[in-house]
Amino acid sequence: MKLKAAPAHKDVAIIDASTAILREMTELASSLRYATVLTDDGFEVVSVPTHKADGRLASMASSVQALSEAVARELEIGDAPYVIIASEAGHVIQLRVPGHELVLAALFDVAETLGKALSTSRLAAEKLATALTSR
Amino acid sequence: MEHIILFAGPMGAGKTTAIRTLSDIEVVSTEAANTDREQSDKDTTTVALDYGEISITDEEKVRLYGIPGQRRFEFMWRILRERAEGMVLLVHIDAPDAVASVREFIIEFFDLVERGGVVVGITRSDMAPGPTITDFTDALELQLPELMVPVMLVDPRDRGHMELLLMTLVANIETRAAFGATLETEYSA
Repeated sequence: MKLKAAPAHKDVAIIDASTAILREMTELASSLRYATVLTDDGFEVVSVPTHKADGRLASMASSVQALSEAVARELEIGDAPYVIIASEAGHVIQLRVPGHELVLAALFDVAETLGKALSTSRLAAEKLATALTSR
Repeated sequence: MEHIILFAGPMGAGKTTAIRTLSDIEVVSTEAANTDREQSDKDTTTVALDYGEISITDEEKVRLYGIPGQRRFEFMWRILRERAEGMVLLVHIDAPDAVASVREFIIEFFDLVERGGVVVGITRSDMAPGPTITDFTDALELQLPELMVPVMLVDPRDRGHMELLLMTLVANIETRAAFGATLETEYSA
């Protein structure tokens, strides 16, 4: 009998690697208010801080990611690995974890520049990709 | 004239397929890799919306919006239902409790049932055993005694089936609009 692999949001190795990366992000950026790693189809893998986790941002981030990619497809402007929502009180950055069916979404307060928030998030996504590929 | 129709129903019912079958334009889809294989053993799932269009006449067009089937995307349900005039509810006959699923979606989208209309398409009836069409109509009659909800067995890949289902809904919406009829029934769960 062929055993089915655990879905990403229940895979202990993915959860552990994601947890480590999000903790590292928190230490690097004091302006980080909330961050989550989610599956392409909107299941939360892990979030920081954990007490805010109810899966809602993960579901919304999944929809937003897919919608932004649909717009890019319609406009024929290539891939759209990043989504940035710049609002008055914070920046939401989300991006694909390269090579994996995962997305990292993070909320920074406005004390952070958009460039720094994007750079921090991109670095975290790349580190997570490396950690998952080498496991 | 334009109509805006929502395609609702549980994951795996065939909503994306139905819109692709009906649409005259290339469908805008937002599919992601499906990790929930226990719920439905398919490769991808809609996570935001599907969008297509079909022209009935030169002057009459129907905009088709498909919503994700999973409740965790309920915020998309709320966004997309606001402008909709009616709902095509698709439920696969081998859903865990297909009759209950129809009732649940009718409750969830009762505002649409009240102001526009609903038709129910039962899918996969040729591929799996399940409740009879009478089981569905009896349940709906009990739930909505003042309203006749059309229920059809359909294949979402079949344009004829889907056109019949959609046109039935459009005719109901137009008839209701023409006569100014309002649904005067209390929801009875």
